[in-house]
Amino acid sequence: MSTRNRELVFLIPALVLTTLGFALVYTQKASTLSWSSLTYGALFLALFAIAHIGRRVLARSADPYLLPVTALLSTLGILMIYRLDEKLALQQAMWLVVGLVLFLLVLAFVRDIRVLRDYRFLIGILGLLLLLMTAVFGREINGAKLWVAFGPIRFQPAEFGKILLVVFFAGYLVDIREVLTVSTRRILGVPLPPLKYLAPLLIVWVLSMALMVFMKDLGTSLLFFGALLALIYVATGRLFYVGVGIVLFLAGAGLLYLGFPHVQTRVDIWLDPWQDPSGKGYQIIQSLFALADGGVLGRGLGEGYLILQSGNTIIPALETDFIFSAIGEELGLVGGVGIILLYLIFTYRGFRVAVQARDDFARLLATGLTSIFALQAFLILGGVIKLIPLTGITLPFVSYGGSSIVANFALVALLLRTSDWVARNEAGDTGQGALVGAGRGPRTAAGMES
Amino acid sequence: MDRPIRRLFLVFTLLFVALLIQLTYVQVWAAPRLKTDPANTRAIEEEMKVERGAIVSADGVELAVNRADGQYFLREYPQGDLTSPWLGYNSLRYGRAGVERVYNEELSGKAGILGITSYWDQLLGNPHRGADLKLTVDMGVQRVAAEALGDRNGAVVALDPRTGAILAMVSYPRYDPNEIDSLWKDINADPDTPLLNRAAQGLYPPGSVFKTIVAAAALETGTATPETAFTDTGTVTAGGYVVRNYGDQSFGEHDFTEAFASSINTTFAKVGVELGADTLAAYAGEFGFGKVPPWPLAGAKSFFPDPGDMDKAHVAQAAFGQGEVLATPLEMALSTAAIANGGTIMKPYLVHQVLDYHQNMLQETKPEAWLRPISSETAASVRDLMVETVRNGTGTAAAIGGVQVAGKTGTAEVADDETHAWFVAFAPANDPQVVVAVLVENAGTGGGVAAPIARQVLVKALGL
Repeated sequence: MSTRNRELVFLIPALVLTTLGFALVYTQKASTLSWSSLTYGALFLALFAIAHIGRRVLARSADPYLLPVTALLSTLGILMIYRLDEKLALQQAMWLVVGLVLFLLVLAFVRDIRVLRDYRFLIGILGLLLLLMTAVFGREINGAKLWVAFGPIRFQPAEFGKILLVVFFAGYLVDIREVLTVSTRRILGVPLPPLKYLAPLLIVWVLSMALMVFMKDLGTSLLFFGALLALIYVATGRLFYVGVGIVLFLAGAGLLYLGFPHVQTRVDIWLDPWQDPSGKGYQIIQSLFALADGGVLGRGLGEGYLILQSGNTIIPALETDFIFSAIGEELGLVGGVGIILLYLIFTYRGFRVAVQARDDFARLLATGLTSIFALQAFLILGGVIKLIPLTGITLPFVSYGGSSIVANFALVALLLRTSDWVARNEAGDTGQGALVGAGRGPRTAAGMES
Repeated sequence: MDRPIRRLFLVFTLLFVALLIQLTYVQVWAAPRLKTDPANTRAIEEEMKVERGAIVSADGVELAVNRADGQYFLREYPQGDLTSPWLGYNSLRYGRAGVERVYNEELSGKAGILGITSYWDQLLGNPHRGADLKLTVDMGVQRVAAEALGDRNGAVVALDPRTGAILAMVSYPRYDPNEIDSLWKDINADPDTPLLNRAAQGLYPPGSVFKTIVAAAALETGTATPETAFTDTGTVTAGGYVVRNYGDQSFGEHDFTEAFASSINTTFAKVGVELGADTLAAYAGEFGFGKVPPWPLAGAKSFFPDPGDMDKAHVAQAAFGQGEVLATPLEMALSTAAIANGGTIMKPYLVHQVLDYHQNMLQETKPEAWLRPISSETAASVRDLMVETVRNGTGTAAAIGGVQVAGKTGTAEVADDETHAWFVAFAPANDPQVVVAVLVENAGTGGGVAAPIARQVLVKALGL
């Protein structure tokens, strides 16, 4: 089967899942089956058919698995949101359309990823501005300053800011890669670069600390720092930077833990939510109860105990941060494992693009985009199942949230563009894209194969 | 640069594997503990959302209904405490008892066939609710029995000997199941044990009502006939134990029928000793002693001592229901049913039908034989003894004009206290439709206290 048709085939499960799922939830809610329950299936068919055709036309040789995984995740997301609140599902559907438009626009206008590298500083400044905007104009909701309002439309600039900063750092690290890997001194046999080359690391560190201090946005801070640390590691191949980065982060986090009750509470709740089960620990404890209730096979769509008598969801922020708990309750361990595996597949395909790229920028761009996506999924999934302290971020493509959906569509578009660019410029080894190929030696055949 | 990327992917893979492990831990290993965590109100809230099936009596009286409060349903018992001994309660805090407990699967719509119908209901858009129960209890009889017993500690059982269907079951003291949550501590601390269904769980020395079983054994084995002659001098000594009649009466020359009708202990002690411990124990067992009553609710085993442990004195006492013999009112009703029903005891039951909300029958209890301790001839002979008891003996207070009543009194001696009053009866004697067993704790004689109660219940049950 050709690569392009493979994507089409893999989109079918997403379509079937949407149609069946909505029919199920609809019968559960209205107790009757009607054609309107199938409209979401039709909507999805149209949306992802357009996405598929757009990708075929605009990024012919891109990875065929990323889009179906995206489709499945957003399907499961909107299905759960629909089950929780029909109005929100309608808005989410609208955001999916907006996200798709941005997806196509990115693919249409960014035809060559080198453009991104050329404009890296502009992109970096824009990313920084988006983050600063939140700090200055942001409204504090649920203890974190994430939202900026433009009239009726609220959005989270950080969602876009972090992607732009990843693009910037991918470009910037290509610039300074050579110097970073130059060793001038050795201490205890460890090659150390001149201290001034730790600058990028320090910039990242300062930025992420600022995020925590001024926006109380623990999640984005952690995400940002982790993804950029991954980038620095891949750019230099030096665990030294990772070590320094982790030490720096831990030191900063330790100070913040002591200095900011907000951070302290998060950690304390994670360590022992049962000290205040009806107060601070309520959210995570209810999440665990929901998961326990779901068991292995789940209670079935629409059968979970998610909406209270008052009409509120039993877990606050159920449709956003805690959507995975709802999935865990209604679709069980089976559904939860499915979601985690989808993120793992996405991560695998993303890094595969990076491995196949010979161009440094393509390689770092794919690494950065994949890392930030995978790390975001890990942080929130780990948070709601009490593996790690909870940080309020969205589950990519699944959680309700316009900014998150739209930004992640842009991320997928960039990743597909990178994949397509790598395949077309490097598969034939035309030399056109092998910008800094020299000095790296021949590639081993034992790369990450599909 | 390949290696860092592959390492990075490995790190992410490990992170995701950690997610999988933690998720499995929460959803599988820790799940039972989380589900029962005191902070977890899901089970309670969810239960409250189920519209439990209604419970109605045989004569159509609502015994357990629901009151809708928003999404939730609150259980109510319109008959108050009258039904509590067997209907039980459905408490979110203290669980369930009685029919509410035993038939919970049906009532909450979880059981077998209902699970399937509920699935179809979902597809067809019908509201899902539990199954209704139609009981065998006639609330008219139940109320009369409860009023006749009044506020004396005791129990009344009325059943149809032909089927085993329970028509009334009264136990006093009782509790109001509507108030179970607030009463819980008090009724658990109450020395009169209102939570105990005395009819099926209360063990009492049966006294002379046990003579129905001894007479049946004597007649069936040929140890005595209704005409066998005896002489009473007021006392008889067995194994060093002196047996006396109630009120220290002396009856002189009499036959076995009179011995039964007048409840002559001395004669029964002699008959008992002649039968022997083994035979008495065997018949007691055949009549249901030592067996848990075969019905869905809680019930105590009535007790007859091990014949190997019995000397003559024990045997003599057991022959008139004293010594170590203990019986529940239900057991005495069942053994009386053997006599009323030609020698066969039917399994007692309380739930007649399980119905879905369209009132389609899902399940029906079919009458089933339980024990057959005696032949129909013996049963007829014992019946005649019991008829004579009501006509001319100790049980005249149970006589009803126009209907022949068969009965037996019991006045069971209790150490240092007033005697327990017993009465077992059935009517009409030639076509038995109702068996009644009455026990009143520490209240006096069977003929004086218990027989009038039995009479009122019989009158109501027969529709007279």
